[in-house]
Amino acid sequence: MTTHVPTVNGTAMTGATSLVKSLEAAGVDVMFGIPGGAILPAYDPIFDSTIRHILVRHEQGAGHAATGYAQVTGRAGVCIATSGPGATNLVTPLMDAAMDSVPLVAITGQVPSAAIGTDAFQEADIRGITMPFTKHNYLVTDPNDIPRAIAEAFHIATSGRPGPVLVDIAKDALQKQTTFTWPGKIELAGYQPKFTPDNSAILDAAKLIAQSKKPVFYIGGGVIKANASKELAQLVEILGAPVVTTLMARGAFPDSHPLHLGMPGMHGTVAAVTALQKADLLITLGARFDDRVTGKLSTFAVNAKVIHADIDPAEINKNKFADVPVVGDLRETITALIPALKAELSKNRADLTPWLASMNNLRATYPLGYALPDDGSLSPQLVIERIGKISGTDTIFTSGVGQHQMWASQFISYEKPRTWLNSGGAGTMGYGVPAAMGAKVGAPDTTVWAIDGDGCFQMTNQELVTCALNNIPIKVAIINNESLGMVRQWQTLFYDGRYSNTNLDSKRVPNFPLLAEAMGCVGLACDNPGDLDATIEKAMSINDQPVVIDFRVHRDAMVWPMVAAGTSNDEIMIARATAPDWDSQEL
Amino acid sequence: MSIHTLEVLVENEPGVLARVAGLFARRAYNIDTLVVGPTENSEISKMVIQVNLEGHSLEQVMAQLDKLITVISIKELIDGAVKSSKHDTQPDYQN
Repeated sequence: MTTHVPTVNGTAMTGATSLVKSLEAAGVDVMFGIPGGAILPAYDPIFDSTIRHILVRHEQGAGHAATGYAQVTGRAGVCIATSGPGATNLVTPLMDAAMDSVPLVAITGQVPSAAIGTDAFQEADIRGITMPFTKHNYLVTDPNDIPRAIAEAFHIATSGRPGPVLVDIAKDALQKQTTFTWPGKIELAGYQPKFTPDNSAILDAAKLIAQSKKPVFYIGGGVIKANASKELAQLVEILGAPVVTTLMARGAFPDSHPLHLGMPGMHGTVAAVTALQKADLLITLGARFDDRVTGKLSTFAVNAKVIHADIDPAEINKNKFADVPVVGDLRETITALIPALKAELSKNRADLTPWLASMNNLRATYPLGYALPDDGSLSPQLVIERIGKISGTDTIFTSGVGQHQMWASQFISYEKPRTWLNSGGAGTMGYGVPAAMGAKVGAPDTTVWAIDGDGCFQMTNQELVTCALNNIPIKVAIINNESLGMVRQWQTLFYDGRYSNTNLDSKRVPNFPLLAEAMGCVGLACDNPGDLDATIEKAMSINDQPVVIDFRVHRDAMVWPMVAAGTSNDEIMIARATAPDWDSQEL
Repeated sequence: MSIHTLEVLVENEPGVLARVAGLFARRAYNIDTLVVGPTENSEISKMVIQVNLEGHSLEQVMAQLDKLITVISIKELIDGAVKSSKHDTQPDYQN
């Protein structure tokens, strides 16, 4: 984030103007929000500001849009709302951003300071509510404190492990007169993220890597946050070890690379999951041993030593013991590791050939795949795969949460960082459309597709109105299986096919193309595999309006492979009641 | 039972007790006693917290506390050095 000392430094103005000057000084070019009583004083100077304000239709949309913008640009996303319900509608996006380490700054209006604590109209203790899932938050009641709070908020949100910061400002603080003073360098006694890793840890890591016969790079979203993909590619080339990229790291390392085994975890590839299980060393870079990756923790990678590099010291030894912890910025870490590893490898280089051969064999034997429906209906996986192929690797994809999200991570090829945006940690249904809106604002010349589910779409589709009115031409693919598909899959597998409350009837109601048209978008539908490519190409040809396609797909398709919740990664299934044929594999 | 005593210096500002207490509650850390008092610097308060670890690692409790922006420093009283535990720190569960 570029910051500069504004020319208005030292002049008298209202707190509201001071807020807007502060946001300008912090380098903000766009923010997503909705005005209301308590924040209203700020909206008057916003009217004159160089900052583009996009008026959304629901504050949740503002929050996820700011997240999409941040994930694409690497800069802080900004959302703004009024007190009470306006602020509480930001709760889900703030939690989402905390779980996925997204730099976000949320500004909320608060009731006047004299009314705080009186259950005043539209009063909610949003600072108290958001304490558990903001990196930090503020309640500002003195207009003189506004510039410092904003400057600190951006500093905290974007440095170290990125995360959301909320600044709640009492209405009277916005209304009162103040003298604008932009702070210089921010120094916080209680916040000093460590960027440069210890040299001894780097040397220990290099030694362990050079000795390993079965190493695997376990890559998490931190590599993307740290803009370390280039350095990672160099490190991987030097060692020649296999790579797995988690759901948050898709695109951190090219899918087309021969050393890439795919995604690990609950719906990971057999090769990626098995690589972690059978490795003698996990080179963990910016990942956090989430339960969706480890499966049953006591059986996870039991023979592996662990190098764990992360900028957040609290991730070290949280879920999995690290033999060599490396705390620091990942780009600095990998940059330091490259010469250290070269030096070690020149002394001693283990033969990785048998390990690579067995992993390549697994990948060849158990590729990702799916069966087309017998009845000739549309396959959801095929729809997603064709969108990926036709739109190409320059596209930015977002998704909702569920089956379509897993298929979008499996069947689209990601070659570059910041091209795959999803709600990984929080699992927020409804993330897809508003995140795509924010992504398109951050990258207006790039094609942005939201791969959404019919359930997810019905949670946040109102932001298509915002897109239509603000020239944000995203493309939305509704993978309509008329169900809460992932929940239905669990009911199929674990609840004897008792489909309690997962039937959405969304092939009958709503009429998605009509709904899209009503919101100022182009609405298309497709239920025949023969029309699939033509429908996608039609959507690709429309660039002056948002497009929504209702893909009416087979409802019984399931996501495979699967490691059932609570079970070991060793029990991975490639289809219902079908495990890989381990006897034929030498591991 | 494993009780440790932490001396935590924090910014003296509204809500700081809620931040610390909330962290302990949401991560299921158990506070046996907590005392908050002033220091010679009016901008800094001192908390003395007795934590009953009950399966959590002291290292993790301190690391999580340190993530709070308003926490300036943490040191363990009485028991001395903090050691990493050579085992997986979370029990198995089905999520």
